[in-house]
Amino acid sequence: MVRRSTPRSIVRCVTIERPLMNNESHNKYWKSLTERDGSSPERDVIPQDGVPFGISRRRFLEAAGFTLSLATMQGCGRTPTETALPFVQQPEGVIPGRSQTYATTCAGCSAGCGLLVKVRDGRPLKMEGMPEHPLSHGGLCAIGQALPLGLYDSHRLQHPLKDGESTEWDDVDQAITQQLSEIESGGGAVRFVTSTVTSLTLQASIDTFLERFADSCHITFDAVSSSAILDAHEQTHGSRVLPRYRLDLAHVIVSFGADFLGTWISPVEFTSAWRSRRVPTAEHPEMSYHVQLEGRMSLTGSNADHRIRLSPDEYGVVLSHLYAKLSQQAGESADRDELGAAPISGEELTALAERLWEARGESVVLCDSSDVAVQILVNGINHLLDNYGKTLDIAHPSRQRQGNDSDILDLINELKAGKVTALFVAGTDLTHNLPDRDGLAEAIGKVSLVVSFSERLDDVSSLAGFVCPDHHPLESWLDAEPVNGVIGLLQPLLAPLGNTRSVVESLARWSGKDDSAYDILRAHWEQSVFPRAESEESASFVSFWDQSLHDGFVEVAPTEEPAGEFQTDAVSFMEDTPAADYCLSLYSKVGLTDSRHAHNPWLLELPDPVTKVTWDNYVCVSPAKASELDLTDGDVVRIESTGTDVVLELPALVQPGQHDRVLAIALGYGVKGTDRFADVGPQWLEARPTVDPGQLVGKNAASLIKARDGMLSYARGNVSITKTGKRHELASTQEHHSLEVPARVAPPGAEKRDAVQETSLSAFAEDPTSGTPEVHHFGDAQLWPEDHPKTGYAWGMAIDLNACTGCSACVIACQSENNVPIVGKDEVRRQREMHWIRLDRYYSGEGDDVDVSHQPMMCQHCDNAPCETVCPVLATVHSEEGLNEQAYNRCVGTRYCANNCPYKVRRFNWFEYPHDDDLQNLALNPDVTVRSRGVMEKCSMCVQRIEEGKIEAGRLGQPLADGQVQTACQQSCPAQAIVFGDMNDPESAVSKALENPRRYGVLEEFNFRPAVSYLRMVRNREVDEASDDHAHDEEGGGHV
Amino acid sequence: MSELNDAHRSPLVTGDKTLGDVTRDICAPMDARPSGLWWAAFFVSFVALLVGAAAVWYQIATGIGTWGLNKTIGWGFDITNFVFWVGIGHAGTLISAVLFLFRQKWRTAVNRSAEAMTLFAVMCAGIFPLIHMGRTWLAYWMVPYPNTRGSLWVNFKSPLLWDVFAISTYLAISAVFWYVGLIPDLATIRDRSQPGWRKRITSILSLGWDGSARTWHRYETVYMLLAGLATPLVFSVHTIVSMDFATSVIPGWHTTIFPPYFVAGAIFSGLAMVITLMIIARKTMHLEDYVTMKHIERMSLLMLSMGCIVGLAYGTEFFMAAYSGNPYEQFVFKNRALGPMSWAYWTMVTCNVLVPQLLWIKKVRTTLPLVFVIVILVNVGMWFERFVIIVTSLHRDFLPSSWAHYVPTTIEIATFVGSFGLFFTCFLLFCRIAPAIAIAEVKGAAHLKKHASTTTPVEEQAA
Repeated sequence: MVRRSTPRSIVRCVTIERPLMNNESHNKYWKSLTERDGSSPERDVIPQDGVPFGISRRRFLEAAGFTLSLATMQGCGRTPTETALPFVQQPEGVIPGRSQTYATTCAGCSAGCGLLVKVRDGRPLKMEGMPEHPLSHGGLCAIGQALPLGLYDSHRLQHPLKDGESTEWDDVDQAITQQLSEIESGGGAVRFVTSTVTSLTLQASIDTFLERFADSCHITFDAVSSSAILDAHEQTHGSRVLPRYRLDLAHVIVSFGADFLGTWISPVEFTSAWRSRRVPTAEHPEMSYHVQLEGRMSLTGSNADHRIRLSPDEYGVVLSHLYAKLSQQAGESADRDELGAAPISGEELTALAERLWEARGESVVLCDSSDVAVQILVNGINHLLDNYGKTLDIAHPSRQRQGNDSDILDLINELKAGKVTALFVAGTDLTHNLPDRDGLAEAIGKVSLVVSFSERLDDVSSLAGFVCPDHHPLESWLDAEPVNGVIGLLQPLLAPLGNTRSVVESLARWSGKDDSAYDILRAHWEQSVFPRAESEESASFVSFWDQSLHDGFVEVAPTEEPAGEFQTDAVSFMEDTPAADYCLSLYSKVGLTDSRHAHNPWLLELPDPVTKVTWDNYVCVSPAKASELDLTDGDVVRIESTGTDVVLELPALVQPGQHDRVLAIALGYGVKGTDRFADVGPQWLEARPTVDPGQLVGKNAASLIKARDGMLSYARGNVSITKTGKRHELASTQEHHSLEVPARVAPPGAEKRDAVQETSLSAFAEDPTSGTPEVHHFGDAQLWPEDHPKTGYAWGMAIDLNACTGCSACVIACQSENNVPIVGKDEVRRQREMHWIRLDRYYSGEGDDVDVSHQPMMCQHCDNAPCETVCPVLATVHSEEGLNEQAYNRCVGTRYCANNCPYKVRRFNWFEYPHDDDLQNLALNPDVTVRSRGVMEKCSMCVQRIEEGKIEAGRLGQPLADGQVQTACQQSCPAQAIVFGDMNDPESAVSKALENPRRYGVLEEFNFRPAVSYLRMVRNREVDEASDDHAHDEEGGGHV
Repeated sequence: MSELNDAHRSPLVTGDKTLGDVTRDICAPMDARPSGLWWAAFFVSFVALLVGAAAVWYQIATGIGTWGLNKTIGWGFDITNFVFWVGIGHAGTLISAVLFLFRQKWRTAVNRSAEAMTLFAVMCAGIFPLIHMGRTWLAYWMVPYPNTRGSLWVNFKSPLLWDVFAISTYLAISAVFWYVGLIPDLATIRDRSQPGWRKRITSILSLGWDGSARTWHRYETVYMLLAGLATPLVFSVHTIVSMDFATSVIPGWHTTIFPPYFVAGAIFSGLAMVITLMIIARKTMHLEDYVTMKHIERMSLLMLSMGCIVGLAYGTEFFMAAYSGNPYEQFVFKNRALGPMSWAYWTMVTCNVLVPQLLWIKKVRTTLPLVFVIVILVNVGMWFERFVIIVTSLHRDFLPSSWAHYVPTTIEIATFVGSFGLFFTCFLLFCRIAPAIAIAEVKGAAHLKKHASTTTPVEEQAA
């Protein structure tokens, strides 16, 4: 046993003992002169108590006790024996326990954002945005952040299936090859359906594969397509392309229903571009002007400077009017007589036209309509405004949406007619995403060879004879060219978890080739991509490849698309459509888009940025319509498609700001197999299942998509709504929706709280501090001396509310980084969601038109933290660097801190949240503790990242540079709304942000001294009473 | 002790009792087999206790999530019940110590049960802070003890820690005070008992009491000293409990009026509970001669005065909110009275302020059924007072995004029921194993007929 006494105490002990020793026999013997003539203390330490065998009683007891306790501990061992094998040959640069970052491309949707993946000990853990990426600029959406949970999903297929039975690849290959050669020789139609393919290599593989067959065709089908935009460009410009929208160049953005900040085409790219024109400074008080005309309340609409409620079936009429006004401005004649009355006021229309006209070449009109005629009008307006070649690039178009509705409708007819011999489906759950599912399934039954490449047994896979599961994108070699000239590479970040195979490889096998996906990809790049390379450094393909792989993307010469002259003839005005009772708008939800992520519980539990509802889809109705139909949130309504037997029963949700005639339902729900989430979250006496027995997560609304004239219409009339009298409780994370307290209990003069502060651009131009509410400040007087001097770092954060769109990517980023558990619907309903970042969403304004504000709210790391004083066991304390730290081990769970938190950002572990799924547990971040039940937790400002940064800087002997440590929320914010850093460094970005005249702190007047600051929101409006903090009330006061 | 005034007042013991009668009457429940009524009451209480124990077991095994709390409302039934029971525990010490020091002789009929009630109520109260912890098994971390975790200490700034000290001190003093008061009576029981286990136990517990003048002298000195020690506790315990709220930043909690307000409320609720118990006890145990209408009436008056103080506090809170100019504070109080939980607020006001005003009427406070109804309502009202303070302040605080609603779960309700089960089980057992009325004190305070010969109370005991 090691002696525990310190040297000093030994010395003291010896001086007491020495007289005794001297008097005893030992003084006769000495080992050295120093010992005899005045010994040095060190020498005397050696115990010489003259016991035989050199062991004292005390020593013996110590040793005996030690042996006994060791033997006892040996017997108590509960950990199972595991064998850890070290690397026989350590891979270069890999240090066990330290994460590596690899560049790849996100394949969560077809937008193709740059991805940096943190890989640790061979498992990808955290998705980060790639700052160098020319499209996403470091942003990443919630879906991208949630990829790891999709990867570590135990429900993914582990083997190929033949007639529903697990089998081996050889059997599958043999059977398919045989059938294919029969088709090749005997004839028969081969149809290959995919979602948008941005991958050049996959496209080439499909093309090569299909070449063999006389009657073959590749059909692109997007669950939510932009087919009409492509079709419109075919008519107006002679080429079926999707323009690349350059919102970073647009000074005036007019969007008809296009939710470009949330779900439309490439939201991260658009958010980043939109944000770049939304930074007013005191010197240059300028901002882009964003008008949203829409029926439902989209995330984009919630961020617009001016929002006009317009039903989707009225877009055509308003666009016709706008076109007529603009062509008048342009001096072109337009016959306006055929135009009916516009559903919006003449002044608004004129103002809109003027604003657009003033910003010719610097404006853009967007529309999400699936009606080609409407999109042609949009093209016409953009042409009149001279936007083509500027804010809309069709020479170097986007490849992010290629779906063709008429092709898929043709295919359905072919299938129903039994003309198809072989059907291949990749990347889309065909039957789930199309109306008339049963009819389609029956038609697919007639096809002799149906092959699905789906990762899991989705609806179409259950109809397929062969399921050849594709790798997860994080296991694959692939590429992506989302925008002409920007090519991303996907590299595998771990060996495939199951016996899966990439589509490219499967196709090669069936064509008799043995190439691996890597070989195919590399060969294709050498052939087709390398010649387009512009960089001089890329002298050889090898270096070009290595560099591209390192960077994760490469910018090459775009292929020129032959865009013809604008065909004015194509434009025709749209009559005033007879107003139907209702217009049903089917939309995709932020954080889910279509059905392909419906198995990801992070995304299912992500509160919708606008409605704040989790785990369900629902029918949004306007408040006026709801009171007319006597509906409240959670009342089940029946939506019927008139004249057909399509009926859907869904809970209603009252959505402020929605058009009265519009009913909105999210697609992508009701996915086969999602009943697996029934028992997600804690199970106890009163727990209610997340999914009711026999039900799925939400309901599939695809049956309500209307197929007509070669279009899949996501906005349609001919629906009726009736109240059923049943209830389905929705789980919302926010009960109260306004900063205004209910009038009944509001103290006079304080009806509205100023947690979110805002101003108008005109007021801001006059006074950059406008919008500051008049509150009583107690000054900086401190009752006690400063006990957190923060001499080293002082961490702080600033959030620009003018940039934040509320997209909720940070919520998932934080969840992934900090091992935040999934709690299930019942717990959310009990208001116990665990997300460390809450996106507070407040409505304001009188009447039907409302303004929306989004505010990320997490632990404010107050210097005078109310939570710290009340904890009886000191489990939450202040660090020397200004962080409010939570010691989980010490917490006994009194919840006093949470009660006393004015921001209510503390989260309590009410239960032991399940971590039974070993595969899913691989997504846990080993740097962060998984909290047990009974302890409090909350935002730590990613203290593990701070410490990692400090250790790394220390190792390199350099000071920690500003920006070297980024919190998870900050890193991937598509709008770059979050700044984090050292407030003691006057040059740091956060210190600069704190000097911004728009800076304020929430509840600052109470002297909590939060370390998180907010930058006031500026709406591009002209409001006379600028400094009035009720400026927001004057809805639309600015007009255009 | 001055007995001058007592001649003008109605007697403390009625029924023309002799000293021997007093002993016999009070000890009767201990000698007889329990009545059917007692068994019925015990059965109900014990079942309630078992239900509560099962709920607590389930909650500790499963998690605090089995309560209806959420991210906004971290305390609900748990702390409400805690404050409620602590409050009830106040009357015991008040009656025993404060009234003793003020020479209020009428206290003798009720002080024993009031003290027992205090003890049991504080036990019930103590359970809630324990089980409300997320990790109950680590509750000992709340105690500052030398440990091997470095210099890990408790947070002396935290009012919850003050609670630990206040409640444990109070429990200890109450127990000692109760026990010391019991010693002469234990000696009486000892002397009355046949040889057997009861005699052996009471022999030990009565600490060799021999009824000598010296014993009495020592006893009275200790009792006086303990009364002096306990008196500040009446005020300090609930003051400290109120600081759980007063020192926080939450509007509706953060207010300096809480200490006196809580103390008055505690005494108010404690008296209500004492009257409740005494009305039941005198009826079931046939102690009408010892707990007379005079006692009930005096306690009713004391309760009325406390009710008025409480009512004043309610009003003052509103005035302070209006006067403070703090919009958050103003909102909380408007929200209490008019918001979604206004039903709780108005229940509280009705039960605590309006109903007790009936006690101004002599007819009311001398009519037992009416008094009984009023005290039950006061008990209800005082429970709601704590609920209103805790839950309505939390459920809508600073940021409207976090506003929430609170609904208790079955587990919480079962735990609450269980605390009543524990309380009544203990009380019923107490009635069986110890004299419910302080025999020695009653004899000392009341003018009793001195049977046969003129004996002192001491001699009477020896008899």
